[in-house]
Parts: sequence; structure tokens; C-alpha cells
Amino acid sequence: MKAKDKKFVIGGLIIAIIIAILAPFLASSDPDGLESAAEKILLIEETEPMFEAPLPDYLVPALGESPLGGAISIVIGTIIAFLAMVGLATTARWFKSNSDDS
Amino acid sequence: MHIPDGFIPLWQTGIYYIITIIALYFALNWAKENLDEKRVPLMAVLAAFIFAIQAMNIPIPWGTSGHMLGAALVAIVFGSPWAAVLVLAVVLTVQGFFFGDGGITALGANILDMGVIAGFTGFGVFKALQKLNLWVAIFLAGWASIFVASLAVAIELALAGTFPYDLGLIFMGLYHAIIGIAEGAITVVAILAIQRVRPDLLHWNKTKSDSEVDK
Repeated sequence: MKAKDKKFVIGGLIIAIIIAILAPFLASSDPDGLESAAEKILLIEETEPMFEAPLPDYLVPALGESPLGGAISIVIGTIIAFLAMVGLATTARWFKSNSDDS
Repeated sequence: MHIPDGFIPLWQTGIYYIITIIALYFALNWAKENLDEKRVPLMAVLAAFIFAIQAMNIPIPWGTSGHMLGAALVAIVFGSPWAAVLVLAVVLTVQGFFFGDGGITALGANILDMGVIAGFTGFGVFKALQKLNLWVAIFLAGWASIFVASLAVAIELALAGTFPYDLGLIFMGLYHAIIGIAEGAITVVAILAIQRVRPDLLHWNKTKSDSEVDK
């Protein structure tokens, strides 16, 4: 990777992680647009999720409902999203170089 | 606007999964042809940024909140809605599997709404208005992307028998017309920031900068 690309990635990740840390302190905990609409007009019974996520609702279960747990889990998610995107994009490019070789 | 499990009957979620998988096939083909060495890190940074900013719910009136989607941002930066499909697919999959945000059965529908529909709407509005005024086009692309995506959610939930048609469209449209102002504003700010530090990463500068910088 070129030096200026590296700088862009580091700068971009720092901004993302700052947002991730601040989010649980600053974000509104009001229901979002869909939840709010559902509270008013839902025609069915709500059900449990099909699957129990490891960090449900962006909280670390051991830390309870503290914003700290929120910050930790959102930072973890930000890094996972970054790595998953690198993985997927690199895989797509790998197919390209393979089809070029053949 | 992440649809949880239980809001859409399983057979209908299957249809949305199939549409989304077809879209992902085209998106991966786009990536194969168009991602170069410096655009992989750009895409990954945008995925990280969008994950983080989706956790930042902004209050709107009526005791409601909302967050941006980011699909228009990605589509404009990369000059392709397929880029938005790919980034939102990654972000929504991480949210669903690690954080229980959006149901796993509804993941296909969520990628369809927030990736495909928001990405194509945002990109279409941007392309249509780009020549009139670049920054107005970017703002309106952001606004329209989340507004139209919210209407798609309302229609899907009406088809599912979960929301009534009229009230679903009214509430979802109204809330997201307001959240769209934030989506448009953040899209403009993010693209201004990239334009300032790395104009060569923006698709509309590509031919110019590639001849200057890369080759």
C-alpha cells in the first residue's frame, strides 16, 4: 500500500473509532423510525429474535447497560466491519487476477 | 430501519434473500473489475465509518430517532451503486450477526432496502442533478436514498401484513423525510472531507487524477 493510502486508512479509521466511542454517549436512545412506527401501528405480535447475537443491542452483556459497554462493542463492530470489507474486496480482486492469468 | 425477525413471513424473506443474492452477484462482478489497490482501503474505511455512524442515532421530533444509511455516500464516492450494495451488505451482516441489529431472517430484505434501493436511488438522484449543482445533488441524493428506502420497508411490511399500507407509508415516510436531512448533510460533509484530503479517490476526479498521480 502506498504511504498516502496508509495515511488515509489510519485517518479514516481514527475518525470512525472516535464516532464509535462517542455514539453511546451522544446518540438518542429514542426508538428509531421503524421501531417508532411499529409501536404505533404494528398489526402482529412481536417475537423473539431467531438467533442470540453475542453483543445484543451494542452492549457487552457483562457490563450491563453502561455507555462504556456500548462504546466497546461499537468499536469492536467498526473494526470487524473494516476487516470484513477488506476480506470481501480482496477476495473479489483475487478472482480478477485469477481470471487474468488463465 | 433494520427489520427484525418476525416482521416478515419466512417465505417472503426468502424472496428478498434471492433478490439480494442476485444483486450481490452483480456487485461482486463490479468489484472484480473496478476495485484497484487504493480503492480496497477506501471501501473498507467507508464500511468502518458507516458502521460507526449508524450507531449515532440523531433525535427527531415525536420521541423518535434515526441514523444515516451511507448508501448514497458510497455510491457517489465510487461512481457506482454496486459499491453501496457491497458496503451495506457487509455492515448489515456484521450488525445482524454480532449485535442482533436487524433479524437474520430479514437480512436479505434489509440489504435490499438499505443497500440496493438506497444505493440506486441515491446514485440516480445524484446523476440526474449533478450538472445543476454538485453539492445540492449530493445532499438530495442522501435525502432521497433513505426516504425511498423507508417507503420500500413500509411496502414490504404491508405485504407481510405487519403494517397497514397507508399508516406505514405515512409514518415511515414522515420520519425518514426528516432523518434524510441528516443523511444528506453528513453525505455532503463526508464527500467534502474526501475532496479536501484525497480528491483522487472520488470517482468523478478519477480520469484526471489517475493520469496525474498513478501513471
